[in-house]
Amino acid sequence: MTSYVANTRIAPRRRKRWTPSTTLLVVLMCLVTVVMLYPFAFMVDNSLKTQAQFDSGSGHSLSSWAKLTRVIPVWRELLNSTIVAVLAIAVILVVSSLAGFAFAKLRYRFAALVFLGIVAAMLIPMQSIIIPAYVNLSKLHLLSGYWAAVLVYAALGTPFATFLMATYYRSLPDELVEAAIVDGLGYRATFLRIALPMSVPALVTVTVLQFIQIWDDLLVGLLFLQNPDNRTITVGLGILSSGRTTDIPVLMAGSIVSAIPAIAVYLIFQRQLVNGLTAGMGK
Amino acid sequence: MSVPAFALVALLLGIPILQAVYYSMTDWDGITAHWIGPSTYQRELSNPTFWRVLENNGLLLIAVPVAILIPLAIAYVLNRHIPGWRLFRTLFFLPTAISWVVIGMVAARFFAQQGSLNELLRGMGLGFIRTDLLSGERTALLAVAIAFVWSMVGTNTIIFLTGMATLDPTLDEAARIDGANGWVIFKSITVPQLKRFLQFSFTITVISAFTALFSLIFVMTGGGPGYGTTTLEFFVYQTAFAKGAFGLGAMLGVVLFVIMAVIGLVQLKLLRTDD
Repeated sequence: MTSYVANTRIAPRRRKRWTPSTTLLVVLMCLVTVVMLYPFAFMVDNSLKTQAQFDSGSGHSLSSWAKLTRVIPVWRELLNSTIVAVLAIAVILVVSSLAGFAFAKLRYRFAALVFLGIVAAMLIPMQSIIIPAYVNLSKLHLLSGYWAAVLVYAALGTPFATFLMATYYRSLPDELVEAAIVDGLGYRATFLRIALPMSVPALVTVTVLQFIQIWDDLLVGLLFLQNPDNRTITVGLGILSSGRTTDIPVLMAGSIVSAIPAIAVYLIFQRQLVNGLTAGMGK
Repeated sequence: MSVPAFALVALLLGIPILQAVYYSMTDWDGITAHWIGPSTYQRELSNPTFWRVLENNGLLLIAVPVAILIPLAIAYVLNRHIPGWRLFRTLFFLPTAISWVVIGMVAARFFAQQGSLNELLRGMGLGFIRTDLLSGERTALLAVAIAFVWSMVGTNTIIFLTGMATLDPTLDEAARIDGANGWVIFKSITVPQLKRFLQFSFTITVISAFTALFSLIFVMTGGGPGYGTTTLEFFVYQTAFAKGAFGLGAMLGVVLFVIMAVIGLVQLKLLRTDD
């Protein structure tokens, strides 16, 4: 990949690239860019208005941004989003790396069956389990804190994460584990000191995928975070926007704030995200 | 070592799906449940609303080819490494990072009567076409479908770009020397080689259409007008949490699960037979 990138960069034929048909295609792609980035422009433009300016369609002002923290508890909600995402991802990383390593490198009874059971859970849509899960967790009195949402997010993320980790550990040579065991390291130490550090790229992929998934989710947060003080930013915005009386420019400012962390993660970890996406094909 | 993962998945996904099957045969209201057998299924199968909702899911399937073909064309163009293709790739995938909630909010304003779509039409001198997509049952579903197609562009483009990067460029060269034009090369050489990627993108797109649009619908239309944009996944939520009919909601969830499982298994089988 790297050498390929370097090749196109040097590009002694650069001049030739601007043929009429290429130019046409670039113009076409610029049009697509306008369509794809329209919501961002819409959010920025309208967040810089008052509700009156939004209704009349002219004029700009910073007042919606000034009002933002009074209308929407953004700091609190950003903190909640962070807490829920971090806890859920921590659970996912622990259980999926352990299970992935076990499936890839250890031989034990029912391994294939257990693996199939976990991975097959990918087929279960969130909406199909949400009602029983809601009632179960409410009977356990977990709905008033963060834990119900954290556990549901963790459970929903674990099947794919386990699949990804197992695929990654399978790509590490078996001799590595065997040598470590022969050298007297137990399975635990082999996992913690050798396999785990080597799997950092896969762990990053899982983290990035799950972060965006959890950060952007509405349904689980809506049902499993019953205390309004625990609402994530996406849930807060979702509830506000379904009301009809909401101040739209303030909502747009809130949307921008909510999108920034996910976009930042995307821009920094674009490659890992793409890897994770296509890993689902099981090459 | 696999016990924690298994326990987590079993307790929060495995057992609830079995409970859903059990409760779908009861008149559960969240607290008490009486066994009524599969009669809910019979009753629901003769309920026009249920079929109306399934029809919406069916209609959304029409958007799936569009959500695949547009990204396929975009990927084909970017794969020719036109100037700035890497930047385009980044920008097109960017919306994938933002929430359906945010997309739904913008889309609702875009399609509204006073919204940007009408402004745009006016600007193009087409002011006589005044749209109000969100106020009609069918047109609101169209608006949801457009937002859905838009939001799949990034993911599917990336899938096809990844696929095209694995292709053998000498085949294109050979075809070109034999006098094949761009369209013929695309149709007879590129697309057949991308079969696996097309299948994958098809599955992802159908799964998204059926199970990922809750937030979009919640924010954009609330399922309405009427049942115009209520898809099965939204109907599950509405039935259970707005109407309190947990047993019926569980049943609808089971129906959704069966549909998704069939799609998933078909995909798995297709992948297996190819390898």
